[in-house]
Amino acid sequence: MSGLELINFYVIPGLISGSIYALGAIGITLIFGILRYAHFAHGDMATLGAYVALGLVGSLALSPWVALPIAMAITALVAVVLDRVFYRHLETRPKILTVMASLGVALMLRSVVQVVWGVDPQVYSTGIVRAESYGGLMLRSRELITFATATGLVLFLMAFLRYTRWGKAMRAMSDNPELARLCGVNNEAVTRLTWVIAGALAAAAGFFLGINTELNTMMGWSALLAMFAAAILGGVGRVEGAVVGGLVIGLVEELSVLVLPSQYKMATAFVILILILLVRPQGIFKGKVL
Amino acid sequence: MNPVLVMHQVRGGYGDADILHGVSLTVNPKEIVVIVGPNGAGKSTAMKAVFGLVKIRDGAILFEGEEITGWKPDAIVRRGISYVPQVKNVFAEMTVHENLEMGAFLAKSVKAEAFERIYTLFPDLKAKRNALAGSLSGGQRQMVAMGRALMLNPRLLLLDEPTAGLSPKYMEQIFRICRDVRDTGVAILLVEQHAKQALAFCDRGYVLATGSNRHEGTGQELLNDPEIAQMFLGG
Amino acid sequence: MDTLGLLNYAIFMGVLIGIYALLSLGLNVQWGYAGLFNAGVAGFFAVGAYLSALFTAPPVPDRIMGWELPTVVGWIAAMVAAALIAWPIGKVTLRFRSDYLAIATIGVAEIIRLVLRTEDLLSGGVRGITGIPRPFGDLPYEWSQLAYLALTWAMVVMIYWALERQLAAPWGRMMRAIRENEHAAAAMGKNVEARRLEAFILGAAIMGLAGAVYVHFMRAITPEAIDPMMVTFLVWIMLILGGSGNNRGAILGAVIIWVIWSSSELLTDRLPAEIATQAKYIRVFVIGLMLQLVLRWRPEGLLPEGTHVRRSS
Repeated sequence: MSGLELINFYVIPGLISGSIYALGAIGITLIFGILRYAHFAHGDMATLGAYVALGLVGSLALSPWVALPIAMAITALVAVVLDRVFYRHLETRPKILTVMASLGVALMLRSVVQVVWGVDPQVYSTGIVRAESYGGLMLRSRELITFATATGLVLFLMAFLRYTRWGKAMRAMSDNPELARLCGVNNEAVTRLTWVIAGALAAAAGFFLGINTELNTMMGWSALLAMFAAAILGGVGRVEGAVVGGLVIGLVEELSVLVLPSQYKMATAFVILILILLVRPQGIFKGKVL
Repeated sequence: MNPVLVMHQVRGGYGDADILHGVSLTVNPKEIVVIVGPNGAGKSTAMKAVFGLVKIRDGAILFEGEEITGWKPDAIVRRGISYVPQVKNVFAEMTVHENLEMGAFLAKSVKAEAFERIYTLFPDLKAKRNALAGSLSGGQRQMVAMGRALMLNPRLLLLDEPTAGLSPKYMEQIFRICRDVRDTGVAILLVEQHAKQALAFCDRGYVLATGSNRHEGTGQELLNDPEIAQMFLGG
Repeated sequence: MDTLGLLNYAIFMGVLIGIYALLSLGLNVQWGYAGLFNAGVAGFFAVGAYLSALFTAPPVPDRIMGWELPTVVGWIAAMVAAALIAWPIGKVTLRFRSDYLAIATIGVAEIIRLVLRTEDLLSGGVRGITGIPRPFGDLPYEWSQLAYLALTWAMVVMIYWALERQLAAPWGRMMRAIRENEHAAAAMGKNVEARRLEAFILGAAIMGLAGAVYVHFMRAITPEAIDPMMVTFLVWIMLILGGSGNNRGAILGAVIIWVIWSSSELLTDRLPAEIATQAKYIRVFVIGLMLQLVLRWRPEGLLPEGTHVRRSS
C-alpha cells in the first residue's frame, strides 16, 4: 500500500475520529480533574447535542453548521442543570455515588433522545459528498471543517485556561481545591463553568460524529470508552493530554484494522486503557492518579 | 497602640469535642508572635480558629477591634488576614508567578507593584518566576506560599509551621524573611515545632498545652525559663 | 390469559427474579462488602451463560465445544470462567480508585459482547446455541417449570446462606474493617488490595452462575438475548433500592424492581403500536430517574445495613 493510500484511508479517518474523541475527552478530563469523578453520562451528552442540532436543522431549516453553536450552547445549559439537579446533592458523599448517578443520567439522556427522535439512524443532510483531492490527499469539506473547528476550539480553550482569570481559577481548583478556596475562588462558579465547557465540547463531539458518519442513539455511549481511554492516556486533568490521547486512540483504532478484524476496532481503546494503567497510570502528560 | 489581633478565652474544635479550652492571646502591630507547645497542644487549631476554620463555641476573636468570630475564611481574607497552611500550600502545577496571581485573585486589578514587593522580599523567586511551584525545593516552595499570602497586603499573616521539614539554612532564611515582612508593617502569628529557634527570633511567644495557655512572655523570657526548657525544649 | 398461561408467566417471573437475585447478591459482594463499582455486570453474566451452554449443549459444526456434559459441570464452568475474567481486570485496576474499575468493567462487558457477536466459532453466531439441557427436563412441562423454579431459588438460598456465613466469619469482619476505615486497616497490615480482589472475583463467579441458571432455563441463547446496559443497570438499581451491603436487601430489590419492570412491560405492550416503542424508552427513563431519587432520598436503600454502608474514597 502506498503512503498516500495509508494516509487517505487510515490516517485521515483516524485524525477525524481522534478529534472527536479529543473533544469528548477534554470535558471528561476537566470533570475528572476539577470535580474529581468519572462522568459516565458524557457520551450520551454528546448524543444529545448531536440530536439537538438535528432538531434545529429539521425544525428551523438551518444549515447544520449554523445549528452547531446553538446546539453547543443548549447542551452547555443542560449540563449545568444536570449537575444542579442530579450531582450536586451528592457532593459530600463518596464520589463513586456520583459516578453511579451519572450512569443513570446517561440512560435518561439516551431514552429522551430515543423517545423524541426514535432509534432509526438519521443524517443531517442527504446526498453523497465526494472527496476532493488536495495534492493527492482526499478530503471532504466536512472533514476539513471538523478538523479546523476542533483545533480552533482546543486552542481557544487552552488560551482561556492559560491567560484568563477564570481559566486560572479552574486550574487552581484542579490543582489544590482547598488552597483555591483560601484564595477566594468561588467553588460553585468554577463548577458551573466546567460544566458549560464540558457540555459545549461534548455537543461538538457528538455533532462531528454525526456529520461524519450518521446519527444513532447509541453513538455517544459507544464512544465513551474511547474518550475515557484518551483522557487517562493523556493524563487525567490535562487538557493537552486529552487532545493528544484522543488523536492517538483515533489513529490506533483506524490502523488496527490492518492487523485485526475490523469489528474489533472498538476493543483497541480498551487495550490501550489497560496498558496505560499497567505501565504509566499518570498518563503521557503526568496527570493525576485518582 | 491597639492590638491587631485579640483572642479572648476561645473554646472550640472541629467536631463535637473541644480542642481549645479557653485560649487567649494578643498580637500587636509590627510584632512576630509565636505559639509553641508539645504535640496535640492545639497550636495549629488556635491559629486556624483565627482564620474561621474551626467551630467556636465560646469566647471572641477581634481583628483591629472588630469581632470576626464565626466569620467565613473568604470574608476574613478580605478583611486583611492571610493564612499559609502547613502542607499543600502552593499550586504545584502552576508557575511561581501564577501562584502569586492566585494570591491576588480577589483584587479587582493587580498592580505590578504588588509583584515587585514580593520579588524584592524573595529574590530567589524572581529568578524562578516561570518555574512550576511543584518543582522547587522545600524552602523555595515555602517562600512561594508566603508570597502568595502577601499579595493582597494583609495586616496579619498566619503561618502554620513554616519551617517544617526544612534544612537549617532555609529555616534561618524563613525567619529572616519573617522579620523583613514584619518590618514592612505586617504582624505575624506563627505556630512552630522548632520551639527554641522560634522563640529566639520572635518578639513574643505563647506556650500552649492541652488546649490552654501555660506561659507567655517575650521570646527571651520564655527561652530563659527553666520550666519551659524542661517541658520540651529538647531540640 | 388463561390459568395455565398465568401460571407459566408466574413461574417465568419467579425464575427471572431468582436470577436477578443471584446477580444482586454477586454485586453486593463487590459493592456492599468492598465498595467496588462493577459497571459490566452483564459481561460476567454473559460469560457464565455461554460457558455453561458450550459445556452442556450438543456439538454443532463450525462451533467449538458442545461437550454434552452434565448441567452441574456447566454451572461450575460458568463460575470459574467469570472468575478467570475478573481476576486480571481486578489485578490491574484495583490499585486505583473505583472509577477506574468502573471504566474497565464497561470495557470488559463491551468486549465480551463484541466477541460473542463476531466470533461465530465461539458463540454459534446469529443462531446462537440451542439444545441446552434443562435439569428435570424429562418431566411433564408444568412440573419441569416448577422444578426449575425451585432449583433456582434453592441456588439463591444457598448463595445467600454461604455469603451470610462468610460475613460472620473472620473474612467478613476484615472486609467490614477495611470498608469502615481503609487506612487503619492497611496500617494494621491487612492486605486491602488482595481482599478487594477476592470480593471482586467472588462476586463475578456468582454473576456467572446467574448466567448459567438463565441459560439452562431458556434452553437456548443468542447474542441478542441480553441487553447489557439494561441488565447491568437493573441489577444496580435493585441493589441500591434494596439496600447495598445487605444480602436480604439485594433479594428484596430484585423482587421489587423486576415486578415493576415486567409489569410496566405488560402495560406498554398493550398500548397501540405507535407509542408502544416510545413507551419502551420511557420505561428506561423512569428506571433511570428512580435511581436518582433513591440516591437522593434513601441512599441506604429499603433495608439498610446495620453498620455504615459505603467505604470512603
